[in-house]
Amino acid sequence: MTGTIARKEIVSNLLSYKFFIVILLASLLIFTSFFVMFRDYKGRQADYQLIKPGVGEPMAVIPPNPLSIFAKGLEEAMTRSYEVSLIGISVRAGQQSGNIVFSFFPSPDFVYVVRVVLSLVALLFGFDQISREKEGGTLRLMLANPVSRASLMAGKWLGNFLSLAVPFLLVTALGIAIMSLDSGFRFGPAAFSRLLLLILISLVYLGLFLSLGMYVSALTRKAASSLVILLFLWSLLVFVIPNIGTLVARQMVDVPSVRALNEKRQQIWTREVLLSISGRQNRAAGFETINAELDRMEEDYRNRFDRLIRLSKNINRLSPTASFVYAATELAGTGIVEEGRLKRDIIRYKDSVFRDLQQGREQHEAFSYRYRGLGRVLADGGLFDIAWLVVFNILFYLLGYVAVVRYDVR
Amino acid sequence: MTEQQPILKADDLSKRYEDGVLALDHLNLDVRPGQVYCLLGANGAGKTTAINLFLNFIPPTTGTCTINGIDVTKDPLEAKKYVSFVSENVMLYGNFTARQNLDFFARLGGKANLTKENYYHVMRRVSLQEKAFEQRVKTFSKGMRQKLGISIAVIKDAPAILLDEPTSGLDPKAAEEFLEILAELRNEGKAILMSTHDIFRAKEIGDRVGIMKEGRLVMERTREELQYEDLVKIYIDYMRSEPLTA
Repeated sequence: MTGTIARKEIVSNLLSYKFFIVILLASLLIFTSFFVMFRDYKGRQADYQLIKPGVGEPMAVIPPNPLSIFAKGLEEAMTRSYEVSLIGISVRAGQQSGNIVFSFFPSPDFVYVVRVVLSLVALLFGFDQISREKEGGTLRLMLANPVSRASLMAGKWLGNFLSLAVPFLLVTALGIAIMSLDSGFRFGPAAFSRLLLLILISLVYLGLFLSLGMYVSALTRKAASSLVILLFLWSLLVFVIPNIGTLVARQMVDVPSVRALNEKRQQIWTREVLLSISGRQNRAAGFETINAELDRMEEDYRNRFDRLIRLSKNINRLSPTASFVYAATELAGTGIVEEGRLKRDIIRYKDSVFRDLQQGREQHEAFSYRYRGLGRVLADGGLFDIAWLVVFNILFYLLGYVAVVRYDVR
Repeated sequence: MTEQQPILKADDLSKRYEDGVLALDHLNLDVRPGQVYCLLGANGAGKTTAINLFLNFIPPTTGTCTINGIDVTKDPLEAKKYVSFVSENVMLYGNFTARQNLDFFARLGGKANLTKENYYHVMRRVSLQEKAFEQRVKTFSKGMRQKLGISIAVIKDAPAILLDEPTSGLDPKAAEEFLEILAELRNEGKAILMSTHDIFRAKEIGDRVGIMKEGRLVMERTREELQYEDLVKIYIDYMRSEPLTA
């Protein structure tokens, strides 16, 4: 029975204008995203060729990450160039997006399209699944047959999920195939397996919105009511909760502002320079003191900042959208954990450069950064976020099932 | 000759809704193969509630109803193998053609692997116009949709058929055609339970006619008995009488 109902849903979708309009829109967005983000990536690659440090230069800068085409995350912050000297680390603008419009709107990457647009599309597939059948009288007709409500729910979910997933996978695969024709698209097997996993968790994410749509549809008697409720829930899950978490965490963890940090840094410098001028301290000792104090200050700042990030992430995880973004960006190597790891590597590099300078060496080792392996990404929280998405999926599906079982079909 | 066992049977069947309304009050009825049982009554008399109980859309408060000897509350999926249902307003799937609708519901009813010709045969049998077979149902008139609805019941070939006010809103010609199909199904040995407001057609097609009022079956007559009685007068008398729960 599940197969019969799933087949009916697929045929029904294929025969409706709604399906074609929605799929056309989603396809257009995915293609546009790939086109825009790939061009942006190529621009940043060209930037990197210009700013990459020469031999022995004390600069930390990493090449653009090809997976940032799909999940840009913190890529811009990560690929800035960091100049190391006796006065510490100074950040340069580095590889910024050539597209100034990105400053006004979020980067239209694949994750954005899935997170915002396709989640809404999934809701549109689910919002009237039960209430429309009720309004049309076909629910009674279906359930007058030896069809269990579990089969009804499973068949409807499966049919609509396939109606959404198959065009999504086809369009995504086609987009990737077109990009791969360009010589600038360099994807090794490791990056490719991460991309496949990213697409897979996108499907899990879309599945949970479909389940949510069906759940609300089974709570209402009219499709219009279910649409209004779902639009409210969608904006809550996609926009409100992921932003509220950060605001709430800021109230709970005291992190000094960047301005205060710079002020403090300046004070340390002034104090030590005055001591040096007055002859109460030699220059080398002064630099050492400055370095040690700045390290302590930055360590303290980093610890507080990490606490803030952890708390924000946990609050934001009340919405599956946050888990999806965390999992997708960490998989792509543009996430918060990866960025923190890069920053710590840069600080270590600064220490090594500082030691070189103290020992009078002019040439410095080149900075290099190795992204975490897939296993490590999953162990560092990626697996938790993926599991959390699966939990949301199961939860919404079960709630939908219970609502369908209790639904008054009269 | 031994009397055939009833296909549809309600035993002391009652339904009280959560808001306290007693929609069905100790209903006892049975429908045997080759019989049409017409349930007459005003809106809210309990006719549709009785059908909903037979289809296990709602659980009974007391009593049991069986289809082909199977308790619908205990084993609803098994019981539903033996019953077809035609509702008052057969909407079906507007984007599907008549054949696609028929195919879907036939599969739900357990009839897979039917050929196009099988579907056409059933639609011809219910007098649906040939050109409508491959037309989208959203272009159909109510009469055409009702014919398609009965063809869904026919193709399932279940021994019992439940009809919830199937002729309501049909023009006289379409209603007459509908009754002809019902008579054929009865002659094939189907047990048919039909709720209706239409006294004249109930008298015409019904082998037994029951009048319901405020959830109770207040009168039951056989076709033979009705030859000597005026069903319209009986019905109106019952409707005008004092409320039962006054």
